[in-house]
Amino acid sequence: MANQLVEIADDQGNLTGKTGIESALSYQDLNAMINLWGPDQKLQLDKDKLAVRKYFLEHVNQNTVFFHSLKERLDYLVENDYYEKEILDQYSFEFIEKLEQLAYSKKFRFEAFMGAYKFYTGYALKTFDGTRYLERFEDRVVMVGLTLAQGDEDMAIHLVEEIISGRFQPATPTFLNCGKKQRGEFVSCFLLRIEDNMESISRGINSALQLSKRGGGVALSLSNIREYGAPIKKIEGQSSGIIPVMKLLEDSFSYANQLGARQGAGAVYLNAHHPDIMRFLDTKRENADEKIRIKTLSIGVVVPDITLELAKNGEDMYLFSPYDVEKVYGIPFGDISVTEKYHEMVDDPRIRKSKIKARELFERIAELQFESGYPYVMYEDTVNKANPIQGRINMSNLCSEILQVNTPTTYNADLSYDQIGKDISCNLGSMNIAMAMDGPDFGQTVETAIRALTAVSDMSNIESVRSISDGNHKSHAIGLGQMNLHGYLAREKVHYGSEESIDFTNMYFYTVVYHAIRASNKIAIERKSHFHNFENSKYATGEYFDKYTDQVWAPATEKVKELFARSGVQIPTQEDWKELKASVMKHGIYNQNLQAVPPTGSISYINNSTSSIHPIASRIEVRKEGKLGRVYYPAPFLSEETWEYYEDAYEVGPEKIIDVYAAATQHVDQGLSLTLFFKDTATTRDVNRAQIYAWRKGIKTIYYIRIRQAALEGTEVENCVSCML
Amino acid sequence: MATKLITRPINWNKIEDSVDLDVWNRLTQNFWLPEKVPLSNDVQSWGTLRPHEQKLTMHVFTGLTMLDTIQGTVGSMSLMPDARTPHEEAVITNIAFMESVHAKSYSSVFSTLCSTNEIDEAFRWSEDNPYLQKKAEIILGYYRGDDPLKRKVASTLLESFLFYSGFYLPMYWSSRAKLTNTADLIRLIIRDEAIHGYYIGYKFQLGYNEASTSRQEELKGYTYDLLLELYENEVKYTADLYDEIGLTHDVKQFLHYNGNKALMNLGFDPLFPKDDCQVSPAILSALSPASDENHDFFSGSGSSYVIGKHEATTDDDWDF
Repeated sequence: MANQLVEIADDQGNLTGKTGIESALSYQDLNAMINLWGPDQKLQLDKDKLAVRKYFLEHVNQNTVFFHSLKERLDYLVENDYYEKEILDQYSFEFIEKLEQLAYSKKFRFEAFMGAYKFYTGYALKTFDGTRYLERFEDRVVMVGLTLAQGDEDMAIHLVEEIISGRFQPATPTFLNCGKKQRGEFVSCFLLRIEDNMESISRGINSALQLSKRGGGVALSLSNIREYGAPIKKIEGQSSGIIPVMKLLEDSFSYANQLGARQGAGAVYLNAHHPDIMRFLDTKRENADEKIRIKTLSIGVVVPDITLELAKNGEDMYLFSPYDVEKVYGIPFGDISVTEKYHEMVDDPRIRKSKIKARELFERIAELQFESGYPYVMYEDTVNKANPIQGRINMSNLCSEILQVNTPTTYNADLSYDQIGKDISCNLGSMNIAMAMDGPDFGQTVETAIRALTAVSDMSNIESVRSISDGNHKSHAIGLGQMNLHGYLAREKVHYGSEESIDFTNMYFYTVVYHAIRASNKIAIERKSHFHNFENSKYATGEYFDKYTDQVWAPATEKVKELFARSGVQIPTQEDWKELKASVMKHGIYNQNLQAVPPTGSISYINNSTSSIHPIASRIEVRKEGKLGRVYYPAPFLSEETWEYYEDAYEVGPEKIIDVYAAATQHVDQGLSLTLFFKDTATTRDVNRAQIYAWRKGIKTIYYIRIRQAALEGTEVENCVSCML
Repeated sequence: MATKLITRPINWNKIEDSVDLDVWNRLTQNFWLPEKVPLSNDVQSWGTLRPHEQKLTMHVFTGLTMLDTIQGTVGSMSLMPDARTPHEEAVITNIAFMESVHAKSYSSVFSTLCSTNEIDEAFRWSEDNPYLQKKAEIILGYYRGDDPLKRKVASTLLESFLFYSGFYLPMYWSSRAKLTNTADLIRLIIRDEAIHGYYIGYKFQLGYNEASTSRQEELKGYTYDLLLELYENEVKYTADLYDEIGLTHDVKQFLHYNGNKALMNLGFDPLFPKDDCQVSPAILSALSPASDENHDFFSGSGSSYVIGKHEATTDDDWDF
């Protein structure tokens, strides 16, 4: 392992002409060293920088195809079917050249090895044989800008500015695919209903295959499907319930993936009052039989308020046959508010029912969360109360942040469409809170982001699933997310979960929602068009704006006042809101949904952010993915000064996380992926208490539960940073 | 063991050694089965390994299967008669069972990734490989011996030392983004073995501390002799396996590191100088038995979930 005398490169692998000592360690080893204390018991963060350099030097630069000029490069990529000619043809070559220069002038550098490694492994355009790179980060950003701007030069410049400066980062499907000739869709997420008939079930599976092939996660609602043992054609005991449908879906998702770039992934949601609920949960049991065990399909439970009420009173909860409910009410079970109709359904002898103890359901959910992290939880009534759009929300998606209304599709006997309903897709992208606060024009950043996401919606046309494309054309729904909250707080020396952090989160999201609605209103004015059924929304009645026009929103703490003052970010006033309300009521808004805060895995590494608005999982995160292996990622801005502000999520604990999320939730029309973190000393009761607390605080959905188990004393690895608790 | 004539029911409300309870709790909390890990997600990655890399991987896993077979069927059970407390017996049954789970796990890896012919070849190889056979012979010899403390030494060296020449490879692949789900499974095994080695070593130390000075000297000498005997064979085994891929040097460093770790578990001083224990950071960082891995749920199940402790909620919890 001797070191070598070599020509030294700068931190992105460009040779400098100077010679010096280069570590003989591989970039994987250098990266792993940040998880080991150095000889003087100090963090070895500099080793990660060496890993980046080594990675460029030994891997990226050697495997990048070299072109003499931009012209030569673009010609080659178009002629060989790598880039889409139509995208480039919208612009003059001179403009593209100017845009490239702009991108390169920003001197973008990967701060962490993880970011560079993730980018080149997962995003950069490669030769068809997968061996050589055809793009650097700047080239990717330019291609994304050119694609989403659709010929609008100013827009392209704005986009490149925002993305290369790290203020806005489109979601993976968009960032990965833009401009490529061989590609998947730009859309992140799909949500499909399944109705209680074979046509709809088989269409659901077909759609799951089609959508996985094009990328993006797919969630399906199973609440409407009749339960195990329900009659078919009036013959009792015939239905096999939802488990076999889950099996079919699981296999479909593992079969289809997006050109190998993204594994097909899916989730299914079930109402807590569906008779198969316990069987549904047990599919995630450690010792479940192979026939019913569900390994890679994610599951979520839709929990109405009545379930919590029944648990509070220690009562039984009734489970209702969806088959009978649909017969009695004429609408699918998932579209019924169980809270509203509960007692009516209990008293109705036409509806078959069974019962379980309500508290036992919650305990079972918590047990399964310990074993597997699942299920997700969606608080149905909270979600619907906060929904400004006409209709009912009965499910969420793979990351539990998409919350939109849907309507059923019906089929003819030959399987063609009778009536095409509305299913859900969502185009995501996230702002980096720290970079956005540092930026020159916060409103412009939000507006550019909203326009970029709207462009994704405009350009999407998923013909193979008509309910999705119809839904998208009608709603133009998008989801602007946020990330790097903990990074920003740590840099500004604010503890996550403190009063100041909650105050900041509140004011930040308050400011974002104003600019997001304003931007969508601007687009509606420009295009003289708003989303379908705007007239019946709470935006049209103005009711949505009451909470902003009836009271003053201002920072409660000195620290947050100072943070906003220093950044130059203007906090919208009541007057601003009144003006906006009037304009929205007059012209409408273009997007049915505007915000959704996703968990941001991959893009936060590239963007050098902490994920979403969570606290960090660890100061040195140990990340493992199929395509990457085990990689170590230091929290952004980590240093001796910020160390103490980087308490990890397990130390912060569920209550503070919920408090921060609650502050953000009130300004977000859709959901926020909220993971709760527990130490292994926690019991199912602690998990239940956190779920109750979250519901009380108005949290809409809970994503994963993560458990951290410390090594038994005496068995730990010496010198390991991430093991230090 | 001659004193155990009366059969007594085990009373978990009367714990003689709190370590028994700690370890029991931890082991049961860590219970897992290989079906948990979606190994089939590694099929694509397996296809990217070159033929000699595939062969090496299969041989390494066959070697591990062999050790776990010994440990599950003979090793752990041979510790049973010398148990100091009834709770220790319970812990040992758990250890023995999990060793069999481990042995079966490797078979899951095989059946998912390889063809029957390849599997048969690997098992034939294990029967013909002199170093692997020698390793089994040495350990089995001591297990069949009549000295309870020496059996514990042999067991600890197996758990904390011999396994690791095999564990190296999946950790190495995972740091190169290969076979990451298999690595998850191996990390679950490491999580168990770390506790097994620690526990048996701890029980050894209890007996050792009660022994006379001359007996202590004998045990100490025996331990170092056995370690060296195993080490000598292990070096050859390592070279036989890893020479072709050029990793022998690194694996040897790793052997030294784990040899010292095994001695530490037994309460003895390290044998190998620090400079010979320069384990590649990527491997060392991957070894931690703590469940700190932040995995991506969509490509694997991770190695961090545990069986939860059930506790009913009370009316106070539902006070809203």
